[in-house]
Amino acid sequence: MSAVAAARPAAVPPAPEAPARRFSLLKPLTWLVVVLVVAITVIPMIFVIEGGFRSTAQINASPVGLPHPWVWSNYTSVLFSSAFWRFLFNSAFIAVVATAGAVGFGSMAAFALSRIEFRGREAIYTFFTIGLLFPIGVASLPLYLLLQRIHMLDNLFGVAIPEAAFSLSITIVILRPFMRAIPAEIEDAAVVDGATRLKFFARILLPLSRPALVTVAILAFVFSWNNYLLAYIVFTSPSHFTLPLGVATFQTQYSQDTARIFAFTALSMVPALGFFVLAERRIVAGLSGSLKG
Amino acid sequence: MARGISTAAAADTSAAAAATPLAQPARPARLRKRLELTLLLGPALILFVGFVLAPIGIAVYYSLYNWSGFGPLTEFTGAHNYSLALSDPVFRSAIEHNGIIAVLSVAIQLPISIGLALLLNRQMRGRSLLRLVVFAPYVLSEATTAVIWLLMLQPGGFVDKALTAIGLGHLVHLWLADLSIVLYTLFVVLTWKYIGFGIILLLAGLQGIPAELREAAAIDGASSWQTTRRIVLPLLAPTIRIWIFLTIIGSLQLFDIVWIMTGGGPANASVTMATYLINRGFQSYEFGYASAIAVILFIICFLFSLLYQRFALRRDTRGALTRAVG
Amino acid sequence: MRSIRNGAVLAVAAATALTLAACGSSSSGGAGSGSASNSGASAVTLTWWNNATADPLKGVWASVAGSYHTAHPKVAFQIDPIQNEQFTTKIPLALQSGSPPDIYQQWGGGQEATQVKSGKVMNITKLVAPWIGQLGSAAEGWQVNGQQYGIPYDLHMVGFWYRKDLFSKAGIASPPATMTELNADVTKLKAAHIVPIAVGSKDRWPDAFWWEYFALRDCSSTVLKASMKAINLSNPCFLKAGEDLQAFMKTKPFQPGFLGTASQQGAGSSAGMVANGKAAMELQGDWDPGVMSALSTDKSLNSKLGWFPFPAVTGGAGAPTTLLGGGDGFSCTTGATAACADFLKYIDSAPVQKKLVGANVGLPANPAAASALTDPTLRQILAYSHASPYIQNYFDIAFPTNVGQAVDNAVADFFAGQGTPQTIITTVNQAASTS
Repeated sequence: MSAVAAARPAAVPPAPEAPARRFSLLKPLTWLVVVLVVAITVIPMIFVIEGGFRSTAQINASPVGLPHPWVWSNYTSVLFSSAFWRFLFNSAFIAVVATAGAVGFGSMAAFALSRIEFRGREAIYTFFTIGLLFPIGVASLPLYLLLQRIHMLDNLFGVAIPEAAFSLSITIVILRPFMRAIPAEIEDAAVVDGATRLKFFARILLPLSRPALVTVAILAFVFSWNNYLLAYIVFTSPSHFTLPLGVATFQTQYSQDTARIFAFTALSMVPALGFFVLAERRIVAGLSGSLKG
Repeated sequence: MARGISTAAAADTSAAAAATPLAQPARPARLRKRLELTLLLGPALILFVGFVLAPIGIAVYYSLYNWSGFGPLTEFTGAHNYSLALSDPVFRSAIEHNGIIAVLSVAIQLPISIGLALLLNRQMRGRSLLRLVVFAPYVLSEATTAVIWLLMLQPGGFVDKALTAIGLGHLVHLWLADLSIVLYTLFVVLTWKYIGFGIILLLAGLQGIPAELREAAAIDGASSWQTTRRIVLPLLAPTIRIWIFLTIIGSLQLFDIVWIMTGGGPANASVTMATYLINRGFQSYEFGYASAIAVILFIICFLFSLLYQRFALRRDTRGALTRAVG
Repeated sequence: MRSIRNGAVLAVAAATALTLAACGSSSSGGAGSGSASNSGASAVTLTWWNNATADPLKGVWASVAGSYHTAHPKVAFQIDPIQNEQFTTKIPLALQSGSPPDIYQQWGGGQEATQVKSGKVMNITKLVAPWIGQLGSAAEGWQVNGQQYGIPYDLHMVGFWYRKDLFSKAGIASPPATMTELNADVTKLKAAHIVPIAVGSKDRWPDAFWWEYFALRDCSSTVLKASMKAINLSNPCFLKAGEDLQAFMKTKPFQPGFLGTASQQGAGSSAGMVANGKAAMELQGDWDPGVMSALSTDKSLNSKLGWFPFPAVTGGAGAPTTLLGGGDGFSCTTGATAACADFLKYIDSAPVQKKLVGANVGLPANPAAASALTDPTLRQILAYSHASPYIQNYFDIAFPTNVGQAVDNAVADFFAGQGTPQTIITTVNQAASTS
């Protein structure tokens, strides 16, 4: 980082960009690019959503086109199917457990790795970063056998816990610099007040790390929510399926009912997008905090 | 930061001494520290070793055998699976495909991400909504993305109809059936999905650049392009380096979308290292061989990560370490 | 001192993990889930993995389980339908684990032989001996080294499904009996702007059907049987098969973009194309009309479909009436009780077989149920199968799995223009050497 940036106190919030009128010449071009980007991003999603309002016969007859007439039964049949809501619940439950595990244990480990001096610290940190290099799918067979031996197969925890483990790496990698960046003076003050290291961690460090914690929580949640291969291997009984598994399975099972696949896929986008809407601000804030550190 | 830590260490011992007025041996403080370390690191380590590292070890073990996945491991073959893999033309083309995706991602997605991030950093109406829209594909699961694009890329499907409608009918190809373009079709799908992530990451980095710098440059007479090139981009460099790292690792591990859309086909035209190992393991029941491929994939990622950390990221981490905060 | 202590932290963690991983190795081969001892006196729940994820078969199995339970109140079932393609992944995992399902879908052949290696598949030879003779030679497909490890519940034959209306439109009076006639028909269909043949190359096994049928026409049944047993394709007739296929493909009989076409999913699949009149023929198993009916809104589709066997090939050493076929069946795992084998007997009993026929599963495994076949085309196929001197199992089932997959992959690559007829043989033989 340049010396200029280093001189700035970390607490100053970055000001927004200068008023747009200075770049008025580029404005039409900007808007064109924006429209193009939005179109390319959004059209596939709209395609799926409106496809759900057509019947399979309509789709077979003309792959592209507006619903004529509008068919509600695809969406209603998915919404009223207990399967969809069960998938949703399973995904949510697993994601919450995986996130709690990754963030909980990860923040504890990141604290130890960032603010406690001990031998072998860098080695353990490097140890954790190895996890970034090992995609979860590659570990599938050994993981399956391990889960089977500890009787966690066809069990929601059998997916949640490995997911937490695989999220530990990115959690620690993001949290460590952030926690390091918290001024030593704050810790000194806490110690003088008689706080133990653990109390400092729980009462002061964690609240201060909130932006980064939210970021890693979101990353762990999204990773878990979208996971396909692990769920596919661990779950046999459909009552345990998660949403991505449901989408892919639905696609092969009802492969003939294209319209229903559209409706199912569209509905499965809703939780992810809704979650993102709520979390969007935090992601940016959290990432900027950890990147600065 | 070194200053910060030693201060903490000093404070630790002095606090221990201050809290208990009686003459104390230093041992309780050290003991407590070890207990704290165990408590803080223990759960994460157990989880990590048990569910991430142990499978790697087991995979290495399996890779030394010729094993169908059924019954006990009886046929020890040592490094045979590895030499087989390295001379396997399909595995080689898998590595090549991963490499092509990695290079294309950096060459094409990065400039687009930077440009869009700069664009979206401006004050404009609906900026939040735009960021939402751009990031949305990233939030979707790979399975959903694959299903959506499978439906759109059918011959005579949405993409073909759209191209014809805007007069680009001659561009219509067999997106997923043509051996020479299927990999690039997949790259387009990947770009659609992951460009939002890059934009958000870069936006976060941009927000760390104080506006005063740009204003100062503008006052000094710099054009917006010069400001961007000389000030913003260099300051954005650490973020860009992280993005490159994550993107290349992601390209090497590419699986879900390829698996669901093409299964690595047709005729291995889109095979990746990860799809190949799942194919050899779970479809051909050659788990020893598949494990060897998994280990090779891991080694490639590991070597890349080591080299990248050493040469590209070293500057950033050093800066972060030596910079005293505040 | 400090480093040792911290090392101790690591060691404890690692040891715990390793212990967790290693422990339970003694608990392998335990009793099947939920099932009690083999005395049969206490209540038992059999877990049943089948591929009926959709109706009508799903409903039929449920009612079959229900009637058996009524007759045998101590035996209950937990049915887990699993997608067909997912079985290849799920089965090895399950057979590795300590608690595989009691009953699972079994296609027999070398694939079954591979699974038997796990030691978890139940040898039911003695248990089925009293009644297995009813099934005739079909039961052999589910034997490994002469021992019965599974039973079939239906049989399938592969042949050409064609659109009678499109044939008449192209001026074809009757289905072809020789390759020469087939080539002529392909030309006529192209002249009438109809895609002659649809193939679901994306799934690879439909490609393999083509090569395997040429092998059946070019190789005598003696050679076929010997080659299956030796897992070796060195006989020159297999090379001729590849060359015949190559010559056929030069006439470009398939739909554009066939490499990316799935076989059964969606209207764009090969089955969907024939169902919607976009192609005139498809080489597929007798399940095809069932698949097609779901992909089209044409209510009169069945009346437009006809069947003819793979044509004779000039100079071929194989009997022109040899059929490629297979079937569906079930196996029991060793943890299951004898009730499992008894249930399999129930499935092959005439009443249940008739129910299955009614659900359009295909051809019954038990000839006694043949009278229940109402569909004239299926009756035609059944009669043809009885007249056939030899029915060859699909190669990817007949061979051990890795060799079978090598066949599918090699032929699919060949369809994509990669490799020569010799490459197919070399690849398969190579895979065989490691199995």
